[in-house]
Amino acid sequence: MNKRDLKNLINQTIITIVALIGIFALIGLFAFIIIEALPALTEVGAEIFGSLYWYPTYDPPEYGMLAMILGSFILTGIASLIVIPMGYIVAFFLYDYAKPTEQKLIKSAIDLLSGIPSVIIGSFLFIYLSPMIMKIGAWSSGNLLLAAIGLSILSLPYAASLMQESLSAVDTSLKESSLAMGASRFTTGFRIVSKAALPGILNAIILTVNRIIGETIVVLMVAGGAAIIPRSLFDPVRPLTAAIASEMGEVPIGSLHYSALFAAGLILLVISFILTLLSRRITRSWNR
Amino acid sequence: MKRTILVMLLATVALFGFAETLVIKGSNTIFPVTQLWIEEMKDMYPDLTITLEGAGSSTGIAALFNETTDIANSSRWLKDSEITKMYQEGKYFIPIVLGYDGIAVIVNPDLGINEISLEELANIYTGKITRWNQLNPNLPNQRIVVYSRNSASGTYETFVEKVLEGERMAPTVQMLESTQAEIESIARNKYAIGYTGVGYVTDDVKVLSVNGIQPTKLNILNSVYPISRPLYMFIDATKGYPQTGPVKQYLTFGLSKRGQELVEQAGYIASYGF
Repeated sequence: MNKRDLKNLINQTIITIVALIGIFALIGLFAFIIIEALPALTEVGAEIFGSLYWYPTYDPPEYGMLAMILGSFILTGIASLIVIPMGYIVAFFLYDYAKPTEQKLIKSAIDLLSGIPSVIIGSFLFIYLSPMIMKIGAWSSGNLLLAAIGLSILSLPYAASLMQESLSAVDTSLKESSLAMGASRFTTGFRIVSKAALPGILNAIILTVNRIIGETIVVLMVAGGAAIIPRSLFDPVRPLTAAIASEMGEVPIGSLHYSALFAAGLILLVISFILTLLSRRITRSWNR
Repeated sequence: MKRTILVMLLATVALFGFAETLVIKGSNTIFPVTQLWIEEMKDMYPDLTITLEGAGSSTGIAALFNETTDIANSSRWLKDSEITKMYQEGKYFIPIVLGYDGIAVIVNPDLGINEISLEELANIYTGKITRWNQLNPNLPNQRIVVYSRNSASGTYETFVEKVLEGERMAPTVQMLESTQAEIESIARNKYAIGYTGVGYVTDDVKVLSVNGIQPTKLNILNSVYPISRPLYMFIDATKGYPQTGPVKQYLTFGLSKRGQELVEQAGYIASYGF
């Protein structure tokens, strides 16, 4: 046992302990949420997914989350529709057209944007953008469109940098051969390189969606908070995350209402888990 | 979970010797009053530690049952289920009225409306009336944007009980997590309506008279104003009314002249010394 071995052993122990803490925290989190959600799942059961009506404090109570689940999906869908093309365009520009100075500028702007706390973005939307949207015909100051814009601003840096990474990971020789064959710069980037980077781009899309669906504070501030299925962009929505954040603070601990909120959390966790698994599979097939 | 908290509490007590502690939990409506009281009491009783948790009336009463709080602030009376539980467990909680809260119905100042009846209000919140001109032909033909506090808040419970008489609020009602957010949203939207404790009303919104009655001090104190409620402190008096100790000190201060002044300062109506 010389000094070097000892050092190695110490380092190894530290790394193992930290890794174990991480793994236990994850398992613990899952276990905690499942345990807290169980009473609602067993006692309320299918009503959670079948009913549109969320009246947890009435007598008799009703715990339907369908409107909120659909609200979450619709909102995520719209935000993704905005942010994914935008993210791709930004990434594409950075990859192929930007001069080094431009690249630096855009990169640092994106990094700064990703550092803005979501509360600030929420306040900004509520104070400046909300009146504008009211002017173009929204009847409610918090609505689907505003929330989707907020989520897009939040996740754009994330989507753009992930996509840019996957584009840059493509072998340069592919790009060069395409250009040598006489393809234009745009065709090369859009058709050849993007195709080669497709798994990476898909992965970026999934991770972005995963991020959007879990965002809480912005939707709490600007989505409106009515648990209805939105019929237009100007209708208010109430995603699951907003309901949890809004009610968790005042709900009697251990009640069925409390448990139902955890069930909502579990739904989100399961969605996120599936998305992560999907992303892992894509990455693996890509590496092969 | 609760056990660990208890153990931690005991541990802290053991650590800090036996300084007197007082735990207060419950209604968020009463939270600001209690906060002011505690600030003043710190100077009067330097070795008394008071912890305060605003978590909703139901939580406070539940905590009184499992003895994790000394005082439960509640903006509502006990539910039947709680009274039954009290009887079953052989406990006796007593209410002390610390002040009154009136729930003001607020709209945007630009909307030409000054009064509303309780029935109209109920119709708006249950979704039977959705446009302003259905209420009064002189009002604009615009959708009513209805705001409410979220379903876990005490203000919501009182509103449902006093205005909707237990009927369900329409799903189109927008739930907001704080009074602040509600006032801001209404101040910005010309066709919005909402409700909040009288203590929180600012100049950005207009208060409507309900059934022709304004939520003035006297109207609320006499319960003439239809949407008002007493605010309670519940204490566990199973072993008799506390004669000494922190609970007694707290109650004595709260009901004193100064304590009642602070109730007014928090935006409510003092129940004593009118």
